[in-house]
Amino acid sequence: MITTRTTNEWLLGAAPIVLVLLLWQGLVSFGYAPATLLPPPVQVFLRMGQQLASATFQQDIAATLFRLFAGFAIAVVLGVSIGIAAAVSPPVNAVVRPIVRVLAPLPKVALYPAFLLLLGFNHESKIMLVAADALFPILLSTYYGATIVEQKLIWSALAAGTPPRDVLWKVVLPAAMPSILTGCRIGLVISCIVVFLAEMITSTDGLGHVLVTAARTFQAVDMFVPLITISLLGLILNGLLQGLRAYLLRGFPSV
Amino acid sequence: MKGALKHLSPALACCGLLLTWQLASLGLKNDSFPTALDSLRAIPPILTDKEALINILASLRRMAIGFALALAFSIPLGLLMGRSRATAAFFNPLLMLVYPVPKAALMPIIMLWLGVGDVSKTLVIFLGVSLPVIYHSFEGAKAVEEKMLWSGAAMGLSAGERLLRIVLPAALPEILTGCRTGLVLALITMVTSEMIARQSGAGNILFNALDMGQYDTVFAMIIIIGAMGICLDAVFETIRRWLVRWSEPQFDMPLSFS
Repeated sequence: MITTRTTNEWLLGAAPIVLVLLLWQGLVSFGYAPATLLPPPVQVFLRMGQQLASATFQQDIAATLFRLFAGFAIAVVLGVSIGIAAAVSPPVNAVVRPIVRVLAPLPKVALYPAFLLLLGFNHESKIMLVAADALFPILLSTYYGATIVEQKLIWSALAAGTPPRDVLWKVVLPAAMPSILTGCRIGLVISCIVVFLAEMITSTDGLGHVLVTAARTFQAVDMFVPLITISLLGLILNGLLQGLRAYLLRGFPSV
Repeated sequence: MKGALKHLSPALACCGLLLTWQLASLGLKNDSFPTALDSLRAIPPILTDKEALINILASLRRMAIGFALALAFSIPLGLLMGRSRATAAFFNPLLMLVYPVPKAALMPIIMLWLGVGDVSKTLVIFLGVSLPVIYHSFEGAKAVEEKMLWSGAAMGLSAGERLLRIVLPAALPEILTGCRTGLVLALITMVTSEMIARQSGAGNILFNALDMGQYDTVFAMIIIIGAMGICLDAVFETIRRWLVRWSEPQFDMPLSFS
């Protein structure tokens, strides 16, 4: 989404963020919102600095990240392999398509109680939920990307002497890559959202748990800290994925 | 024959999944994992209970309002961002910051300001739906062919008309992809916001049942919410097909390289 090339655009982009912060500060200092409901931004960021240095908060971040990555990794592996398989083989397609049509629109959070009852209250149920939610965007865009691969590319590769079993790795997968990465990006955002929610519902650690604890004790400052943290984490992960995309797609024309 | 099979296949998949569930629960013999049949049997009492029905309808109403408001706001914004570099540069960083924030997690904070009523839940759904729709409208509008816009301008369309009559239709398939992600997020947000503000709604019934250990109600509610998702998706898919029937790619052709 960020295609800032000049400093001008950087400044323009920073403007609304500064505006929001100013508005926030203004609301507090002119007394439109009581500080117990909307703490001043300085206080929130100071508290955030304090928290980031504390060991318990770091452990919470680590727990969240672990669940996020584990779930996302499972979703990527399953999504890409099932997506490609469905695009390549008609029998697999016949089985996968109706199942995906049924499962994809199902709100996976509603399944969370079932995961809890089956897998317990530890990491597994949360990882499972993240994987279930991130799977379908990745699967669908992999499938879509693989179906629009030009048949001519495959014929050319075969004519050039590529063995049919290698065509999958050398032609289909690279050609579907832009679409796969778009799916991964949606999956990543959804993973961030879902891991946080799962931790809010039942957890003893993680960023979502920090928020719930703060909400129960009406500590408005502490409620903002995990939210800002997850937003920054999302931004960093997105940046990393963007870098990976730029690296993987270096041969492609401007994608 | 083949067409009939194609229409039946999602139903067959449903049956298959329920059957797997039934076998799994019979095999596991776990108290907290009722069989598919038991859960299905628990559905009619919920649907005939007036209070539960009002709750579920209230959920749907909030979702519809939030979704509609989000579309009305996000599509114009996304299209503008796609056509004007300055607008895009202005909004992009802020949106990037806000996108990965789970909107339902804002619930506790919004509840402090607006109370636990409909307003805060609808607002949360609105926020959740807006971002994917803005993002996809933006991408769609960015990819519109310049030549079409030039032709439009040459034929004397004003900037506003070009946006409405060229950019909007050309970006529509991409916008609808965004709407679909938005629909999924709306359901997620709806369930979780009701889970957090336990006052009314389908999420409220589900998580209250979980807390009270009424496991067949839990699984029955999962089926109901799942069915809601599937029906909404089917309706959406029909509308989408109708709107973008001119741009349908050939989906059903498997690649061949043998």
